[in-house]
Amino acid sequence: MAKEEHGALYDLLAVRGVSRRDFMKYCGTIAVMLGLSEAAAPEIASAIEKGAALKPALWLNGGSCTGCTESMAQVDTPDVATIVLELLSLNYFETIMAAAGEQAEKNITDTVAAGGYLLIYEGSVMMGQDRLGNTLLVNGKTGIAILEEVAAKADAVIAVGACAVDGGWVAAKPNPAGATGVQSYLNEVGIATPVVNIPCCPMNPEWVVAMVVQWLKVADNDPATFLAKTALAQTTYSDDFTGNDVTLNYPEYIVSQTIHDNCPRRGHFENGEFVTEFGSEEEAKGYCLYKLGCKGPQTFTQCPVTRWNRSVSWCVQSGAPCIGCGGLNWVDNNTPFFKRLSSMEMGTALGNVQPGSVAAVVGGVAAAALIAHGIANKAAGRRGEGPETEEMKEYDRKKLAKKGGEK
Amino acid sequence: MTRTVIDPVTRIEGHMRVEVEVQDNVVVDAWVSGTMYRGMETVLLDRSPEDAFYVTQRICGVCPISHSHASAQATEDALGIQIPEGGRLVRNILEAAQFLHSHILWFYNLAALDYVNPVNALSANIADTYALAEAAGTRVADFGAIQKRLTAFAQNGQLSILTGHYWDHPGYVLPPELDLIATAHYLEALEIQAVANEIVAIVAGKFSHPMTSVPGGTAFVPTVDKLDDILFRFLRVKDFIDTALIPDTLAIAPFILETAGYGGGCGNFLSWGVFEQSSLVPEDRYLPRGFAQGLTPETVSPDDVTEYVEHSWYDSASGLNPKNGETHIAFTGYNVDDKYSYGKAVRCKELPAEVGPLSRMVVAYLAEKGGQKLVGDVAGVRTPAALIDSTLEALGVAGHPEILVSLLGRVAARNLEAAYVADLSLVFVNDLIAALKGGDAQFWKAAETKTGEGVGAWEAPRGSVAHWIGIEKGKISQYQIVAPTTWDIAPRDAKGVLGPMEQALIGTPVADPERPLEPLRIAHSFDP
Repeated sequence: MAKEEHGALYDLLAVRGVSRRDFMKYCGTIAVMLGLSEAAAPEIASAIEKGAALKPALWLNGGSCTGCTESMAQVDTPDVATIVLELLSLNYFETIMAAAGEQAEKNITDTVAAGGYLLIYEGSVMMGQDRLGNTLLVNGKTGIAILEEVAAKADAVIAVGACAVDGGWVAAKPNPAGATGVQSYLNEVGIATPVVNIPCCPMNPEWVVAMVVQWLKVADNDPATFLAKTALAQTTYSDDFTGNDVTLNYPEYIVSQTIHDNCPRRGHFENGEFVTEFGSEEEAKGYCLYKLGCKGPQTFTQCPVTRWNRSVSWCVQSGAPCIGCGGLNWVDNNTPFFKRLSSMEMGTALGNVQPGSVAAVVGGVAAAALIAHGIANKAAGRRGEGPETEEMKEYDRKKLAKKGGEK
Repeated sequence: MTRTVIDPVTRIEGHMRVEVEVQDNVVVDAWVSGTMYRGMETVLLDRSPEDAFYVTQRICGVCPISHSHASAQATEDALGIQIPEGGRLVRNILEAAQFLHSHILWFYNLAALDYVNPVNALSANIADTYALAEAAGTRVADFGAIQKRLTAFAQNGQLSILTGHYWDHPGYVLPPELDLIATAHYLEALEIQAVANEIVAIVAGKFSHPMTSVPGGTAFVPTVDKLDDILFRFLRVKDFIDTALIPDTLAIAPFILETAGYGGGCGNFLSWGVFEQSSLVPEDRYLPRGFAQGLTPETVSPDDVTEYVEHSWYDSASGLNPKNGETHIAFTGYNVDDKYSYGKAVRCKELPAEVGPLSRMVVAYLAEKGGQKLVGDVAGVRTPAALIDSTLEALGVAGHPEILVSLLGRVAARNLEAAYVADLSLVFVNDLIAALKGGDAQFWKAAETKTGEGVGAWEAPRGSVAHWIGIEKGKISQYQIVAPTTWDIAPRDAKGVLGPMEQALIGTPVADPERPLEPLRIAHSFDP
């Protein structure tokens, strides 16, 4: 075998005692996460081994809670140190960067001037009162001015977390701060830089790392190749704040199935075995949380597969119903979180538009199954019916009342 | 006179601006501004109280658990729910995991870079580094491999998160060997904070944004298979605190002793109290509720809170208790002579009040000195008074707790609190195991009413957090939040009195106004 040329990352892994075998295993994991076959591992390995200068990246915080940064700090493989020392040159990342103030601002200016960088955007885009951007100021500039400056020249934007995707909870009614998502805002100002969205509140860090590696190693750091080689799912929603229809790109591997499809508690759902009260015996047995309002059947993310915090657990595993933070306009669409939706018309009547036409098909099947199981559960005499169902969302009721409709 | 601005203040949660007036290399005036408004309280109106539990934790992704607990307690207070014993213990475990995560992350990954110079670590002598670690009683790492890794990183010419900082500032005074030790622990801290958060994930699904401490108790049922996963992670985190965080603090302190001479600030300390005892009485908490002017203890209640907006971008009424609070945004431009912050000027008993570990440790210290037994008869727990007294002795200032009211004191108090919470975490797990052995542990209780008013006043790692709720027929009619950072970065109030961080900045030396390292240290010491 010819002597291989190794890059900085591979050398450093070697220094840290990572064996060839572990390295290949890691490449296989990345391949699977990217939705490729494990047979693609050698291709990824060779791309990593080739090595290169670190890819410059800027991580901007908009109207954020820093929860996605925190989530990033919980990443499994590669770990945070590897990401910031050997994968990306994160020249701007407010929460962890050394520089502050003027010196920090210069890092943005320098990186934008040099070009060839990725923008990772966390938090909602703060359009502000009268769309003046006044709800977020950094160094005397509005958050939207900074986003425009940085996004225009970026190779691509990775919008991390529900707030960056569509405004998240900040954009929930009545959206007092004028929040929207990155794609929606870039459409408004005519910036065509490609945006890839990573859902959930916070986003799962493993999904972000997979995208970064896809960019650097599989798409050869080239925007066109990236778009051509990445399996993307698209969905269109109507942004209440801007009044526009917005089409979002998601990595398909994240959003192709519902939480319900992959839920380890699914067997209990099939058996009609439900938790109807928190902290109960049924919860100790790991029964299904649907009756406590679980939004798993209508939420299209890979949470049960990837799981959280280095795969230790995830929401449903800990005993809580899914609150649907991976969906669009997730607070308005999913509150009250603990009420079951009387209608299972996912992706249509409730405005909970989800990626792909899969929604309607799965929705129909699930709805039928739920009705059947509702009856089965009653017949079996299991205790409790769980919280009441709601006929209509409170805000929709008010909207309707305002328009002179009933209620 | 020179006007120096730090905007953005980095290595914090959120968006903040610090502006200082420097005369003869000393800060003589200061303005601290919160520069973002999201409007959470408005978003909550007309939703269900349980929805507030999930939405309000998203005010802060670094302390979401504390906000979720304050929100749940507000609802429980409003609807007359006493959470069952199992729920109390699970919440204490969850809160402890978040505290340990947060304090470790704060010291090594946020604040340390104000004192520790990783670039300087490249010139450390490896043998001397091991000798120093041995002498300081701090844990060793593979210092040679870490230095090699850092060298490779530095040589590629891209400094990533270390880019653009003034590493040649005269304030970086540690020897390269200590820089290398601290940098090694910076990297290890990234791992250990994640271990602490795995406990959060086991109990609450994920970090950030936990799922289970719903109003009424917890949705998490601690089956036996989960206890070992929790206990042994706490042991690993506690080991890191005992063998790195504490000895590193003591090793660095002698090089920065002048920081004990400034940065104290307003000297009023508030703690709502955190870590519930069986009594569910806030004054009994493991870190008790209390207020102190200087080192004189007083009682305190959420009714003592008032918020002013004379210098904040709101046009709603000023001087209200949050029970009747209003939040109506009216941005008028940044002007330090008029309005300059989205933060309200929150006051306790009409005084600016510092919140955070220093406040909690002062309140706890005074309670212990007054005869209160914080941990009952449980053996083997290092309590706040014991930790403070032994640290003062180690630094050669035994019997002078007033020295804590300084920049150095604020840094030390956070790390000492981490040691106390690490000990408590094991108490909480053992209590839970005992409760499970008893076989009748209850975890959740339903509400019996749908209307009421309540307040949940609790502590996040970075300070006092309180949520006020009004509920009418199951829907939220009033919601106000006073977050920790609202206290510490408060702007001037109606009388023109400066907020706690503003006061702490005054008197701070500034070697070079173009490179304001010292004011940055003050800002970071509050963990905003």
